[in-house]
Amino acid sequence: MSFLENVEIPKVVIVGHVDHGKSSLIGRLMYDLDEVPSGKYEELKLVSEKRGMEFEYAFLLDALQAERDQGITIDTTQIFFKTKKKKYVFIDAPGHKEFIRNMITGASSADIAVLIIDAHEGLKEQTKKHAYLLKLLGLDDVICLFNKMDKINYDEKKFLKVEKELLQFANNIGVNVTATVPVSAKCGDNILKISKNLSWYNGKPFCEILDTYNIKKSTEDLPLRLPIQDIYKFGDKRVIVGRVETGEIKLNDELFFLPSNETVKLKSFEAWPKAKKKYIAGDNVGLTIENQIFIDKGNLISHVKSCPKLMNTFEANLFWLSEKKLKIDKQYFMKINTGEYSIIISKVSKVIDTDNLSSKTLGLSPEKNDVCEVIIHSSQLIPMDDFKDNQKTGRFCILDEEKIIAGGIINLQNFPDQKDVIQTKNIKPISFSVTEIDRALRFNHRSAIIWMTGLSGSGKSTIAKEIEKKLFLKNYNVFVLDGDNLRMGINRGLGFSTEDRTENIRRAAEVAKLLTQAGFIVIVSLISPYISERKKARDIRPEIFKEIFIKASIDECKKRDVKGLYSKAIKGEIENFTGISSPYEDPKSPDLILNTENESIAESVKKLENFIIKEFGVIKNS
Amino acid sequence: MNTHLHKLENESIYIFRQAYRSIKNIGMLWSLGKDSNVMVWIAFKAFLGKIPFPLVHVDTGKKFKEMYDFRDKYEKKWNIKLIKGNCPPVEEIDPSLPPAARSAARKTEGLKKILKKYEFKGIIAGIRRDEQGTRAKERVFSPRDESGKWDVKNQPPEFWDQSNFNYPDKVHVRIHPLLGWTEIDIWQYIKDQKIPIVDLYYSKNGKRYRSLGDKDITSPVSSKAKNLDEIISELKITKVSERSGRTMDHEQEDVFEKLRSKGYM
Repeated sequence: MSFLENVEIPKVVIVGHVDHGKSSLIGRLMYDLDEVPSGKYEELKLVSEKRGMEFEYAFLLDALQAERDQGITIDTTQIFFKTKKKKYVFIDAPGHKEFIRNMITGASSADIAVLIIDAHEGLKEQTKKHAYLLKLLGLDDVICLFNKMDKINYDEKKFLKVEKELLQFANNIGVNVTATVPVSAKCGDNILKISKNLSWYNGKPFCEILDTYNIKKSTEDLPLRLPIQDIYKFGDKRVIVGRVETGEIKLNDELFFLPSNETVKLKSFEAWPKAKKKYIAGDNVGLTIENQIFIDKGNLISHVKSCPKLMNTFEANLFWLSEKKLKIDKQYFMKINTGEYSIIISKVSKVIDTDNLSSKTLGLSPEKNDVCEVIIHSSQLIPMDDFKDNQKTGRFCILDEEKIIAGGIINLQNFPDQKDVIQTKNIKPISFSVTEIDRALRFNHRSAIIWMTGLSGSGKSTIAKEIEKKLFLKNYNVFVLDGDNLRMGINRGLGFSTEDRTENIRRAAEVAKLLTQAGFIVIVSLISPYISERKKARDIRPEIFKEIFIKASIDECKKRDVKGLYSKAIKGEIENFTGISSPYEDPKSPDLILNTENESIAESVKKLENFIIKEFGVIKNS
Repeated sequence: MNTHLHKLENESIYIFRQAYRSIKNIGMLWSLGKDSNVMVWIAFKAFLGKIPFPLVHVDTGKKFKEMYDFRDKYEKKWNIKLIKGNCPPVEEIDPSLPPAARSAARKTEGLKKILKKYEFKGIIAGIRRDEQGTRAKERVFSPRDESGKWDVKNQPPEFWDQSNFNYPDKVHVRIHPLLGWTEIDIWQYIKDQKIPIVDLYYSKNGKRYRSLGDKDITSPVSSKAKNLDEIISELKITKVSERSGRTMDHEQEDVFEKLRSKGYM
């Protein structure tokens, strides 16, 4: 039996609509191959009789009472057996739409996919949904079995009609059908041997197709991807552990770490009882590196020449498994390999109806078992590959309340690799002292001073609060320095004389500078009436200083008089009030003008938001 | 090591490391059987020679003497941290269960006590899919509610090596690193790695144990296999199921499901 040794054992998943015969097929195959343990057949005969049924092959797999009583598969099963040529693991997946999550659990680990269709019933809802999901799971090649041929009297014409329908559907979704076989699981036709009942069929029986199936395996040939699973400390030694997802790694390799952008030489492999010199896809490794750099769980090791991309915005195809509908801009967590990230789904571009392949693009809120196309943002840079290039590092799941609620595959066609964006901006890699650039790398935006100047009542504070909220929700590090708030603390004791105003602005600018060094986008909301003082503020960090003129006429501001200050100033109860008893010098060339007299607050905020994202967001979009 | 075993070993190591990284307080069941020993062995590999969590022997007090001797020897030799827990008497167990199952359920109760005492959030158990129909439906990371119950009709999704790890306070997770192994894989691995086992597995007077449980509810099967090679050859042709010597499995159609949904391994 040496031919059974030293080969991998393929996993075969059987999918299809409920009651089209998935469990029965596996049961029948086991029976025909004489793989049913002794006593089991007799046991199941009794079990079937007890329920007043003919012998039910499916009971070999449907072990749960509820499954036997209801005659359906609830959860996925894996079962082991061998044909004359090969060993297999068969995965039985439930066909009921309630149990899509179990179908995915089963199918996700398969090497070969078999779609079973009731030749009598034809293509049903879950036939199509399953075929579509197989594609999302990366199983592009499918063997199709047309079951229950006995029910249609082994009629070739009827078979051809259903076959045509299926091939058309498969073609439309880009699934490659490698074989179509008319079978009857119940009667054993074309399962192990060609059946006389189907003499018009020219192909091979199912079992032979399986035994000669060529599984596409290319994980070793792809570039190295080694996600860091954990870091073990043994005294002073730090051992990085993880699994080689694709490619290979060997002694003396230069390793490239993302998102930190560091290249370090591999020092040693660590293993018990003894380490090897080279590891390939599928192997778990332990390794140490020459220099200590900042590394963390979830970082991705590759070779610099063929490294993954670093993204904070990307497109994905999702299958949604949660009872709760997908919510735009809600914070979710994403797990990709061993990394965990906070994300939002900023847009649902399409929800695909797998039944007729139409897609909706408006008013979209995907619900349980929907498949959809989305755009995802993260405040962190995430190393990843396009699913087409590397399935292992091009797929992820989404969690909400610590539960897996969706899975997805990545499409990187339409958004830029942030490594390139960062490098062209001459941003240096992380070093041991944390620099502003390091922070920008992590926060995904540069720091900035957004200096809003304008009359009292022009709308500075309102806009500041709104923009702070907006950016915060987009995972920006943002903070408002408001004139009034500053006066309650750091600027306490300063009045409104020219000298005090100058000092007030100087202090505000210095605090803003510190915050920018901490990586913040600082929104300064200060009347700051003098051109010269605003120039001094700009000179502290000219490269990231933006002057925003909040424009509203003095008459309009008087009319608004939100805080009742103008009436007091006009009565002479307040001295040195800008616009009344003290001058305001309009900016000569502000970076942006927001005219609050002509536009709504929402419009102003949107303008400012676009401006900030364009200027300081690492990725340029709106 | 052959390709297939190597792949299984790799999958198990990954699960071990994932469990240790993701679940705060974990322990590993060590039943002293063949699967259990394979599990300990792979844990050594996963954690580079030192297992960073305790092993747990839920002692029914009715194991074979050979098993206790084995335990005491390898506890020292392997230098492992071992928690020994006992089980309540059979009188305290659900009387609606058939006799052998009722006896086996003592272990479930013993385990619950340990879980409570040591506040384990994760328990590693060496069950395999090929052993029994309901085990075939298990997840690698499988949650158990406060009372230890397995909600088999409502299991969480698990794909692409991603699982749910975090559950409410009183829920614990069963971790199954050997789920994808078969009986013959276990034996081939034991042979390849020279892993020690209790010699009750070898044939004496035409009989050997294929699966080790409590003395009074486990019986040997007919076999001439006196060494690892013979066991492997025997398994290649046998149609007798592994657990055929376990009385508890055959008392009722659904007895194993009942036991498991109440928290049995």
